[in-house]
Amino acid sequence: MSVLIAARAVSKNFGPVQALKNVDVAVEAGSVHAVTGENGAGKSTLMKMFAGVITPTTGSIEFKGRTVKIQSPLQALHMGISTVFQEFTLIPNLTVAENIFLGRAPRTGSGGIDYKKLNADASGALGHIGSRLRPTKLVQNLTVAEQQIVEIAKGVAADADVFIFDEPTAALNTADVSRLVALIRELKVRGKAILYISHRLEEIFELCDTVSVLKDGVHIATRPTVQLNEQSLVALMVGRELSDFFPPRAREIGTTILRVGDLVIDGAEPVTLELRRGEILGLAGLEGQGQREIVRALAGVIPASFAIFTKTGPSGEVVTLDASNGVPYLVGKGIGFVPEDRKGEGLFLDLTILENVALGPQLRSAPWRLAAKAKQMVTGLMQSMSIKARSPMTRAGALSGGNQQKVLIARWLASGVDVLLIEEPTRGVDVGAKSEIYKLLRKFVADGGAVLTLSRELPELIGLCDRILVVHEQKIVADVEAAETNEHAIIHSAIGTRQESTHSVAA
Amino acid sequence: MNNIAAILRIGPDHRTGARHLSFLVLIAIIALVAFSSNLFLSPANLANLSSQIAPLLIAAVGQTLVILTGGLDISIGAVIGLVTGLIVLDAPQWQVVLLAIGASATIGLINGIGIAFLRVHPIIMTLSSMSFVQGLALLVRPVPGGTVPNWITASITGDIHGIPYSFLWIVGFSAIGGWLLYRTRLGLHFFALGGNASHAGLNGVRTRESTVAAYVLSSLFAAAAGFFLAGRIASGDANVGASYGLDTITAVALGGTQLSGGIGSLSGTIIGTVIVGVIGNGMNLTDVSAFLQTVIKGALLLAVVCVQRRKEIGL
Repeated sequence: MSVLIAARAVSKNFGPVQALKNVDVAVEAGSVHAVTGENGAGKSTLMKMFAGVITPTTGSIEFKGRTVKIQSPLQALHMGISTVFQEFTLIPNLTVAENIFLGRAPRTGSGGIDYKKLNADASGALGHIGSRLRPTKLVQNLTVAEQQIVEIAKGVAADADVFIFDEPTAALNTADVSRLVALIRELKVRGKAILYISHRLEEIFELCDTVSVLKDGVHIATRPTVQLNEQSLVALMVGRELSDFFPPRAREIGTTILRVGDLVIDGAEPVTLELRRGEILGLAGLEGQGQREIVRALAGVIPASFAIFTKTGPSGEVVTLDASNGVPYLVGKGIGFVPEDRKGEGLFLDLTILENVALGPQLRSAPWRLAAKAKQMVTGLMQSMSIKARSPMTRAGALSGGNQQKVLIARWLASGVDVLLIEEPTRGVDVGAKSEIYKLLRKFVADGGAVLTLSRELPELIGLCDRILVVHEQKIVADVEAAETNEHAIIHSAIGTRQESTHSVAA
Repeated sequence: MNNIAAILRIGPDHRTGARHLSFLVLIAIIALVAFSSNLFLSPANLANLSSQIAPLLIAAVGQTLVILTGGLDISIGAVIGLVTGLIVLDAPQWQVVLLAIGASATIGLINGIGIAFLRVHPIIMTLSSMSFVQGLALLVRPVPGGTVPNWITASITGDIHGIPYSFLWIVGFSAIGGWLLYRTRLGLHFFALGGNASHAGLNGVRTRESTVAAYVLSSLFAAAAGFFLAGRIASGDANVGASYGLDTITAVALGGTQLSGGIGSLSGTIIGTVIVGVIGNGMNLTDVSAFLQTVIKGALLLAVVCVQRRKEIGL
């Protein structure tokens, strides 16, 4: 078998961040090659290079034995490289056929689009992959699985030799996944090279012949999947001892700081929880079970039917708070909120670190008060939190994910809140900065604060938190000590065993 | 039923927007006006209506292209005024014609470059160029006057077998617009831009060049409307196009086209223009004050825009 497409010693820098370092990956014709790794390992960066979205800083892409420069996705498609992005690139108000041939629609002698040929060719490409989708349907009326078919048909219509799939099963249900797997096998039989980017281990073992593992932008290994099992693959992906990754837990938990009696969101059953000083409390659960809503309702970001709770001050005085008064009110009462989408909801990317951090204390002073000079305070925080930037005047948008997250946390440290509500504390943050953020949060609670957090990553919750509440269908179904639990036990309660067991029988 | 829907281009698989509703509104308004004034259906009034509608329609075709890309061209009226002013300049006829067309194309080019390359918001960009061009037009022709070349006037007034020339202008420019929008790759790319500009770019649509093309075409259609108006009023008038910026937007929106782009049709714009024309004509026939007509037109635009579902903040 011959190598169809390969990355030769490619590196990619985004400003100061090196997303890929000297990576070599070669994909053979008639094979499915998986690229895997943790979040932020560089999988997507590598894929975008093959797809022509970005170009390598150094190194080169080789296609059919020749070094090529791929400047755009359309050029890639013309060369024979088709990419199905995780976020589809279809246009909703165009038909299936118009989408398949966008930018290269067949023309009649007079220069107009040949719609007859357009629709016939689209039908042909769809038929080739066993789909009977009508080419004149508008894409906005298609299901996600059908949209993916259209994306694949684009490559088939262009007679591509290389198909790149970026997390293709993320949005599909089980039946659609098995259809996709069959389709990819069919492409493989026809001698296409398939690059399959995923972190779902079972898919990699089911579908792929070879797997390359990336970690922190470095190529760790490439092995035939038959030589690996799930444990050995995970070992390659993680590849490090996790012992001192998380700071030690609190030795002593203080008194209650937040007592939430009955938080009622959207008419669901009331939620009761208690947060104590010195504690990091985590909310675990499957996607969309209501963890996010609990945090957001307490932060005053989303409205709740009933969101009155009490907070105990440092000297023991108890105040009753109503979260429906909104974020500024709660900030004034010492509760800060760090949203998951830090770029969209947390930071002002065009403003400097100084301004982003100084906002915290300013939120807690009266609007007519002069803004205090904060440069010294911010410089101090940047040092103590090791925020890597040239000066406090650096634009927040120019920072890496980890440093942005630190800036957001610095805002609340500067404002002197003693409760932090944090969604996904380390999403899109590289491994080194993750550990630093965990230490920062640990220090925050050790100094008398308290943190309520949620995360999709169970190992993170188990390593970081003191106590974990498991949420299922908007109810807290378990309350466990993090030190005494494991992923298995949490997932068990997160699935809500009784209902799910009947599901799995049906499936 | 499916075949009928396919022929009429309505239903879930067409991006014509609320055109079918526009058509019903048109029928209702024609019925209302015909009922209120028995002059409405007279041949003389219909010829008059055709000549009132023609320049608005020609300009609205250009506006449709721009709106489908997700943009807006407010400078149309000023371009019309400038063109009428240039046509009556004291110079050889072929020179003034070339000058008028060249100036319009340049304005469109500047609009397009500002919007596509310098990322100025379409409203701000075309509002600025409107002010600039309007001033230029007033410098060229401070007061209405001048003589329009005979052949222009002759191509507008008159009829062939009872069909007024203005109607032929309507048919001709609609056909050009239809060909651009539904037969060329460029037309498809206009729809793609309005659907999702960044995705269009990822699929190889030259998004910036296509945007520029839309604004140049819009200015050129405005120039054609300017030629027609100059012929009709037989003089140059810098202010003659003043209401066309807003009127074309009203007409396009009345045709069921979404002002956020991507969804709409040329036939809808024709229907919308006829609605605007018939309402104006009907109000003239029933002696409604010109000022009140302006009030009604503004309310109409507001009503149409409110009826459309907004996809994003803005229009």
